[in-house]
Formats: sequence, structure tokens, C-alpha cells
Amino acid sequence: MKGRVLHFHLAGINNQNFLMQDEETGSWWQQVSGLAILGPLKGDSLTRVFHDEVTFARWRKENPGGRVLRPAADSAWKTFSANWEEETAHLPVRVNGPADGALAERAVIVGVVVAGHAKAYPVAALQRQSPIMDRLGGRTIVLVESDSGRAFRAFDATQNGATLEFFQAADSGSGSMRDATTGSVWDFSGVAVGGPLRGQRLTRLYVLKDYWFDWKIYHPETAVYLLGPR
Amino acid sequence: MPESLSTKGSPSTLLAVLLALLVLSVMVVVLLPVWLIQPFKPQSSGALAWSFWLRRWSPMFTIGALLAGGVLAGVLWQGVRSPWRKALIACALFPLVLSVWASRQNHFEWMFAPLPNSSFERAVRTDFVSPSDLVLGIKVKEDAVAFPVRQVAYHHLVQDDAGGVPIVATF
Repeated sequence: MKGRVLHFHLAGINNQNFLMQDEETGSWWQQVSGLAILGPLKGDSLTRVFHDEVTFARWRKENPGGRVLRPAADSAWKTFSANWEEETAHLPVRVNGPADGALAERAVIVGVVVAGHAKAYPVAALQRQSPIMDRLGGRTIVLVESDSGRAFRAFDATQNGATLEFFQAADSGSGSMRDATTGSVWDFSGVAVGGPLRGQRLTRLYVLKDYWFDWKIYHPETAVYLLGPR
Repeated sequence: MPESLSTKGSPSTLLAVLLALLVLSVMVVVLLPVWLIQPFKPQSSGALAWSFWLRRWSPMFTIGALLAGGVLAGVLWQGVRSPWRKALIACALFPLVLSVWASRQNHFEWMFAPLPNSSFERAVRTDFVSPSDLVLGIKVKEDAVAFPVRQVAYHHLVQDDAGGVPIVATF
């Protein structure tokens, strides 16, 4: 932050999203947005590092030279339930947020923001239909699911000035797509691995897997993608 | 000299009331933010601003309260002879001392377990993550780092340097 390295602690919870406090100035930062909401640095924003939530198998395949966080040695953490995700899903939601019946409060969504326009894509929809093509913030985008409905990525569907239309190409591997325009096959990392566009790379869009109740607090104008009945 | 804390109008009554108010105020200052920021309760921005302000100033306030309380207790002590009254005065100092300590504690770091000193294993040698486990992957320059979701869901906050850039991973 402005040439100074901040060190963070947990400082509290704001409507079920953590607050962090930096040692250096004592400011409070909102976890999900990286925005300082109170204290001397109020109004400042941390730079977001692009992250990706995928299975370890896929990550290691894509990053063989990478490194992995080692579990803590003291290991109270081992007693931490292996079912944490399921148990968290049953925790109550009591927040000061907009009431909105579009989705269940704890529905897991994939959030995308393009040119200031936010949209939530329910994971349940992506598990039923992938890829999903949509218009958002004046762009055509494509969202795709992989790793048995657990990993999600989004790309700008425009390549070389032309908007490509994507279809599933599961026979070419989990998360693979084929574009109708050129017939090229694209893998889950957005790289064309076969066909005329082989070697080209789609522009990745940042996605955030979040609970609906949390997403709509920080994106009050968000749209929601609803799968038509079929 | 009437040996009394309760005689109306006596200066020692006033001092005793001040001491009691001091004890009450440090309890409010220390406990109010804990009450306002409960994990499964909603928070308004006003409540957060109050909590922030109280958490920021309580370390200083509680020291001041302890010093003032010490002086008050000392004066009161000299005015009483009953051992019960002396015990009561001594008891009033206990919450003042406790609040100095409590205002410097972070109970969120007791409840959760942030990991300030992270250590890493090379991906090819990692045997503590199963292939189907989810990880949060980041890549800064050529430095690719995976944070297994189960671990960050436990720690909530991990600090690291990735590709020479100091980062905080939080879940």
C-alpha cells in the first residue's frame, strides 16, 4: 500500500465477512473487497491478486513448478472437521443486507464483474449447463465448469475481433469447449489446443465464488443469471 | 472521621461513586465491541464505527482508568478501617487491571487461527493434499502458489511473498 508493507490480523466480522486490521496503521479492511472501511487508510483499496479455485490435481498439472502451503505443525487444525463446507452451509445467515428472494441466501454463486456490471451465476446452473454464454458490461462472455462441477472459469468470448460461440467438448477433457465459428477446441485454461486457432489464448475474467448473501451486499446492483426451464 | 462509604454527602461517598463509574466505563469500553461484533449477528456501519473507535482507544483509556482508579482507591483506603470495605476497594481494582489486559487482546485470533508464518512445499513433493481437494491458486510473475481451501478455511488469513510481492490470502 503506497510503498509500505502492511501486516494483517483478523479484527472482526462485518455481516459474516471478516474484517482485517493492519499492524502499521490500525485501519480496518473488508476481506471480500480489500477496501479500508475505517481508520487512517479509509477509502484505500488493496490490489487484488487474481486467484483461481480449482482441484489440486488441475492446479499441479498447470503449475508443476509451484509451491503449496504446508499445514500448520501445531495441528489443532487436523481436528478441524473434514466436513467444514457442509457444516458451513448449515450456519445461519443473519446480515444487514438487501432482502432478495432471487436465490437462497447461502446459494453458492460465481460472481463476475465486467466494466462495472456485476452478475451472479449460480453454481447449480453451471453444473447443469456448461458453458454458459452471456452478455455482460457490453461484452460477450463465456463461463465454464470443470473438475466435476467444482471449478469455474470465465473468459471474454471475443477473439481476434470476432465473437466465438462455445459448446461443450467434454470428450476433449473436463472443462473443454469447442467454438462453432472455427471448430477449434479450447481447454479449461482458455488455450486453443486443436483446430485453426490452436495456440491462441482467451482473455480470462476474474471470478469470485461466493455466497449469494455476501455477493449482493458488495454488489447491490448485481444481476442474476437464471437458467430457463427445460 | 466517619468510617463510611455510604454516608450521604461525605467526600468519600463521591469518591466511591466515581470509582464505581470508572469500573462500569471500562467494562462498557471493553465489552461493547465484543457484543456489537458477534459472528452470526448482523452489523450496521454505525456499530462497526463504534467498535473500531472503542477498540482503537480502549488500550489508552483503560490505562488512564487504572491510574485514576488507583488514586481513588488509595484515598478511599486511608479513610476506611473496616476490612470488608478495604476488600471492596481492592475488588474494584481487579476489573480495572483486567480491562487493561483485555483491551490488548484480540479474541478473533483466539477463535480463529491466522497463520502469520507460512511455509511451503514444492508441488511435486506435496503429499498432504489429495488430488480432488480444492486449492486457491495464485500466480505472481512466475511464482505459482496454492493455498488448499481446507487450510485457509481454518486459518482464514495467511501472509506470504509471491513473486516478490507481499500478499495476504484470506478466506
